[in-house]
Formats: sequence, C-alpha cells, structure tokens
Amino acid sequence: MIRKVAIRNYRLFRDFDLELTPGLNILVGSNDSGKSTLIEAISLGLTNRLNGKLFAQELNPYFINLDATKEYIKDLQEGKQTPPPTLIIDIFLESSDETEILRGTNNVHGEDACGVRIQAKLSQDFLPEYNAFIDTITAIRLAPTEYYKVDWLGFSGNPVTARSIPTTASVVDPSSVRLQAGVDYHLQQILRTHLDPKERVELTRQYRSLREAFGEQDQVKAINATLKEDGESLTSRTLSLAIDISQRYTWENGLIAHLDDLPFQFASKGEQSALKTVLAIGRKAKGAQVVLVEEPEAHLSFSHLQLLLKRIQEQCDGKQVIVATHSNYVLNKLGLENMILLAKQSSMRFADLPADTVRYFQKLPGFDTLRLVLADAAILVEGPSDELVVQRAYMDVKGKLPIECGIDVICVGLSHKRFLDLAVRLKKRVWAVTDNDGKPLEHHQKRFADYLKHDFITLHVGADTAVKTLEPQIVEVNDLATLNTVLGKAFGTKEEAIEAMTAEKTESALAIFESKTPIVMPAYIKEVVGE
Amino acid sequence: MSNTAILAAAGSRKTEYIVEKALAAEGRVLITTYTNENQNQIARRIESKVGTIPSNITILGWFTFLIAQCARPYQLALTGEPLVISGLNFKGKHHKFAKKANLNYYLDQQGGMYREDVSDFVVNVNERTNGAVIHRLENIFDHIFVDEVQDLAGYDLEVLDLIMSSKISLTMVGDPRQHTLSTTLGPKNKKYRGEGLRQWFAERADRCDLQTRDCSYRCNQHICDFADAIYPALPPTKSIDVSATDHDGIFYILGDDVPTYFAQYAPVTVLRNDKNANTYGLPAMNIGVSKGSTFDRVMIFPTKPMLTYLQDKNHKKLKAPERLYVAVTRARFSVAFVVPKLW
Repeated sequence: MIRKVAIRNYRLFRDFDLELTPGLNILVGSNDSGKSTLIEAISLGLTNRLNGKLFAQELNPYFINLDATKEYIKDLQEGKQTPPPTLIIDIFLESSDETEILRGTNNVHGEDACGVRIQAKLSQDFLPEYNAFIDTITAIRLAPTEYYKVDWLGFSGNPVTARSIPTTASVVDPSSVRLQAGVDYHLQQILRTHLDPKERVELTRQYRSLREAFGEQDQVKAINATLKEDGESLTSRTLSLAIDISQRYTWENGLIAHLDDLPFQFASKGEQSALKTVLAIGRKAKGAQVVLVEEPEAHLSFSHLQLLLKRIQEQCDGKQVIVATHSNYVLNKLGLENMILLAKQSSMRFADLPADTVRYFQKLPGFDTLRLVLADAAILVEGPSDELVVQRAYMDVKGKLPIECGIDVICVGLSHKRFLDLAVRLKKRVWAVTDNDGKPLEHHQKRFADYLKHDFITLHVGADTAVKTLEPQIVEVNDLATLNTVLGKAFGTKEEAIEAMTAEKTESALAIFESKTPIVMPAYIKEVVGE
Repeated sequence: MSNTAILAAAGSRKTEYIVEKALAAEGRVLITTYTNENQNQIARRIESKVGTIPSNITILGWFTFLIAQCARPYQLALTGEPLVISGLNFKGKHHKFAKKANLNYYLDQQGGMYREDVSDFVVNVNERTNGAVIHRLENIFDHIFVDEVQDLAGYDLEVLDLIMSSKISLTMVGDPRQHTLSTTLGPKNKKYRGEGLRQWFAERADRCDLQTRDCSYRCNQHICDFADAIYPALPPTKSIDVSATDHDGIFYILGDDVPTYFAQYAPVTVLRNDKNANTYGLPAMNIGVSKGSTFDRVMIFPTKPMLTYLQDKNHKKLKAPERLYVAVTRARFSVAFVVPKLW
C-alpha cells in the first residue's frame, strides 16, 4: 500500500505531496491539474518504467519541471553555481515484512519510512562535460538531461530491483492502448500479475513445447529441407526456420487475449479498459498491489460503466485503487469521502474539510462540488438572478461568457463559506458576491475574515446599507428609461420598479441578461468583472 | 541465550556449522564474512546441499552489510542530506587531522567511506537515531551468522555488541589463530585482535555463549601437533577420522629436490607468503588466500622468520604465527617445508 507520494520537479509537479488511503482514492481535477501525470508518476516510482521502457531511456528535458528549469537557467545567467534541477518521486509504502528492507531516511522528508525513490539528477561522472557545457553554451533553454543519471533506490539508500519491491502497480489507461511487440504492455503486465506463479510457469512450458512442435510438422520439415539445399551454396552450415524459443519470446509476447475469438485490441476500447480493470483488481497473485485506473468513464456506455464501478467497489478490499476521473457520476458512485481534489499542483482530501462542510457537500449532488474543482476560477453568487446579472456584466466587459474563460458562476445560496473552505484548499481564485442585507461592509469582511486573508479570495458587497439586495442596487444606478427599455415595462417610479423586480427576480434577471441594451452595473458587480 | 560464539581450530568444520545452522533456521537469515573468497565458499556449499540459495538467506560481505544495511539507511543523521554515501573506499584513509565531527572524517570527496571508519560511522549513526539502525536490522533479519569472526576488529566489535543486545540471534565462528586479515588496523579495541578475541568473548559471557572446538576433521594428528605448538597456550587439537597414507606428517626438503618431490606426491599444492618467494617455477597460492581451503598435501616456501622457528621452535619469537598456522593446517596428510639446508 502506498501511504504517501512526494514529487519534486517531475513535469508539472514542482513540489507536491499527497497522502493516500488504503482502498479507494479518487483523483478529481480539471484537465491540466495533473491527474494523469500523478498516475504516471506513481507507476514510474514503483516500476522504473514508462510505457514499458526503462525511465533512463525515456528521460528528456520535458520531464523536468519547467519552472524549476527556468529558475535554474536564470541563476546560471546571473552567474550563480546552481546545479540543474533534480527530479524526485518518493513513494512511501506501508511497513510490512517485505518492505522493511526499504526502510531508511533517504527521502525528501528525512522521515524514517519504508519506500522507494526514482531520482534523475546531474551525474557526478559527467561533471567535467557538464561544466564545459555550461561554460560554452550561451543559450540554455532546457534542463541538460543528457548529463543526468537515473537511480531507482529504496529509502535505505540502496538500489532496488523490480523483484525487491513487493508492491506492484497495474495501470489501466483506456485513452491510449499502448502496443509493444503487438501486445499492449499494460495488459501484459496485468495478465502476468493476475495469474499465480504456477499458472505462469505452466503457460511458459506449454507455449514452449508448442513452438518446439512447430518444427516437427511435416510441411515445415519439407520447407526446411528446401532451405537447406538453397543455403548450401552459400554456407557450409544448415539453414532452417524455427520459432524463437529463447527466453525473450515468452507467452507474454506471443499470446494475445481474445474476447469472443476477437483479438483483444480489436474489441471496443471501453470493453478493453473494463476488462483490464477487472483483471487488475481481481488478481490472484499474492502481494500488495496498487491499481491505477485512468478515466474509467472513457469509451464506456452508461450501463457498462455502472457494472465496472460496482466491480471496483466490491473488489477493492485489501487493495489500493487509485482512480482519476472527470465524471461526477463516477465520483458520486464511488463516494465523495474518497475524493482527492487536485488543482494548481496542490491537493486536498475531501475528508479533511471541516466536518459540517463535508456533510453539506455530501447532501449536494456531486456536480456542484465538482464545478468549483474543475473551473479555473469561480464567482459565487446567492441565487439564479445574481448569476444571470453577473454573467451579463461579464459579457459586457469581456465580450464572452465567463465559462468560456474557465470561470464558473455558481449559485450557492447562503453557503458561501462551504465553497470557500474548498477554494482555500484548492488555492482557487474566487469572487464571493453577496447582498449586504442592510449591514455595513465591515460586518461582512469580519464574517469572511478567515477566507479573505488569502489573496485569491475577494468579497464583493454593495456598499450602501440602505440598499439591501441586487434589484434595488440595479435600480439605484440606472435611469428609469433604461430600466423600462431593458425590462420591456413602463414603470412610473423607481419604487415601482424595485417592487416589481423583487417580486419577479428571475424573470427580470433573464430580461437583463438577454436585452440588447446594456444596463449600468452596480459598483460591486463591476469590481468582479472589471479584472 | 540467543547469541553464540564458537572459537575452533582449523578443520573443525566451522563454515559447515554455519551453513547447516543457517539452512535449519526459521525466519530471515544473514550470513556475513569479510572476504569475497569465503562468501563464495559459503554460497557454493549451500548450493551443493540444496541446489539454490533459499530465499530467506542473504549472503553479504561484512563491508557491504555495514554500508548497505547499516550506514546508508540512516546516513542523514550524520550527512545532513540523503544519498551521500556512494560506497566503500578500501584503500584510502581520512586525513590525520580530520575531525570526527566533520563528514570528511568518514567520507572522501566522492562519498566513498574509508574502510577504517565504516563501523565507527554505523555505531555513531545508531546512537544519533536512538537505535534506528539496529531496530531496522531487527525487522529484516532474525538470525545473523558471522564467519571468520577473527577478521573483525576495532569498531566492528562495537557493532557486534549492538547486535548481541538486539532481538536478532547472532552466531559467530572463527579461529583467533587464523587472524591473517583484518577489516581495520586502527587503535580501537586493539587488545582484542587475534588471540585477544577469546578474552573479548569471555567478557561477554552474560550475553554470548562461548564454545570451543578442539578437533580437526581435516588434518592428521602429526599436523595438528605441529600447529598446536605454534600456540602452546591454547588447548591441543585432536584429529578425527583422517585416514592414513604412505606419506603422513611434516617433512623438510631441499630446493634441489622440489621437482622430484612435487612429481612423486602429486597433487601437491604450493603455498608461499607472497609473490616474491621463488617457487622454482611451480604455480603457487598465497597463504592469505588459502584460508578456508583443504588440500591433501602442501609444499610451503617459508619466510625467514618461519625458517628460524622451524629450527628453534621458539613460538615467542615467531612474528606472524597466524600465517604459519594457516599454511600448515591446509593439509590433510603431509606438509613439506622447502629449506636451504637440512638440520
């Protein structure tokens, strides 16, 4: 079981720590939040392989965090002797008889723990070449990974091998079926771990005897006899054809899984990924195991997805399953309490929110929770009329809807604080818009003081305490003629307008939203969209 | 008592004892010894008994054990940053003015740890981490076996002390008479080197059961008697079950007779102190390397001090008795010394 992951300078993770729990962990985040990278990093840390190839062969400058690289280059330009960034993935494992040999304090936290590390850093062996390189090259743009060395170590500080790590990782990634020598590498891996050692040996034996028998076929013998004659003119040795029975070509490379006699890779992608997930989760071979599932919802029909999620839930006992998803359905099915939110290379566990906030979100449909998580930024408003007016205000200034800019406008009623609890942990830019309800600005600032100490959270309230809600605020700053044009009404007085608008909030807001003529927005709304 | 030390004569099947105990042990076993030669010897013996080395048994050289399983995991306590130790610096020594408080006392520029200071480092780190090093060992090994324990010296003995006080059962075997090699040469625990080791164990009678084996399954009685005379203070050795041949005992031959003798009693293994010895063109093995091996007949080219001893038999004046002891006790039936003149 993985207890914790610490990543330094790996792709978009500059300095990232995440705790995981046994059982289910659901990673939720917007597209560039690093869900896939995190899954990739965990698999890399446990296997030293990326897409089936050794990491040392795959390492290139783009694996090194770009911000770290920029800083390094800036330091070089300023004449500082900064070494190039070191890439580190530390996987902290649960203590067990098998993992104790990996114990030590050689990890980013100096913690006495069992675990493994992948590290790529400037190799001491290349120091002379590297020094010559930074002296002569004036324009370095990328980390000089050609002078790097990749090490796969236990926290004990000693090199590890795939065998010495008791935790295996199976990656189920439906979005790209990776082919290696005709067989999907991940499927190969999953099949290998699904079978117990005896079954594997038996398969190897049978496969070999089958290949050996190939050469015994009369037709093959005849062909080989012809070949021999042809070859005699060129060489004194005997030329013949046989199936390679060396270790390299074992059943894993030669056998292909079939579904209804259809080679596995010709089955639908959804079915492929569902089957891989089921195989990975239901594996028989002993040993702690981590199953990494990327977007189970991809390529799957609703009913298949439902079945798959049921399987995941039933069988994840005693295993660690890490699922990355965009789908609120998946999230709701697998349980909000297992959710880990990823944003801006930071993370938070849903369960770490204040208890009443957790309860609040558990009652909400998952979709509303996810909106804040998935958006780049959010404007929190009280009700639908506020939402429409804010959207219109944004359109007037920017020429497009906020959502087109990654900003979601979310109606939260009077539950601003719940969402702000989330926003604080996600470090998300949030504008909280609320009615003043006749209270002065200071009152509201005090109420939100805990949140406002973060510069990414701002509060927007109408300043005039005599004007309590949105509708009178709008009436206040517009002349009667504009209001009548926009709303398609013929109010005689402003009081009349306020009364009608307050009585039919949503209709008036919709009219404002759809109107050809823009209205003047109240100052506190302008603040929000002015940026 | 879960700790045992067995001090025994050459040919008393010390290594055999370790191999049998290790194979019978339940739980995870470490077998460690100083030389590569002896590690290979142990591995070969296990393989010849059970085919492959069982998965619960690990064989490591003493320095590999110290560096990989003791020093590296908690190096942070002394190095201040992880992954500083690269390996062992076997030949180098720390600068004579280096201070123990500084890292360059233990490590060279490349992170290689000076041989003399490895076990010192381990003891130091264990202390600073409140025993984390030993605690970690307890979690990965149930039994530790040390072969040729007489090779360990200096702070190595402190490491043995720490293991003896842990949950791990420690079994050590060796022969103080065969102290031809030493892991370190520093002043620490100098009085317990070689023959002093028996005293060291005696002082630990409360923690460690000290046994002696005064028998040899390898050498005949003539050879045992000759070897015993080198260490008259130690109990005499009894030869067990060594068959008789037509040429048994200790012999002296002249250089001119070497080829004839070598042909007549073939196969004869030629032993020399080092490559400077003139062995009349015969292929020879250094005495140091021969430790742990058994041969039917050996021919020894003695050093000057050995020659003096052969004449006056004064063990007090013999400078490196362990080398003569090891050389003589390689043979099952006969030992021939090549001497300049017969007396």
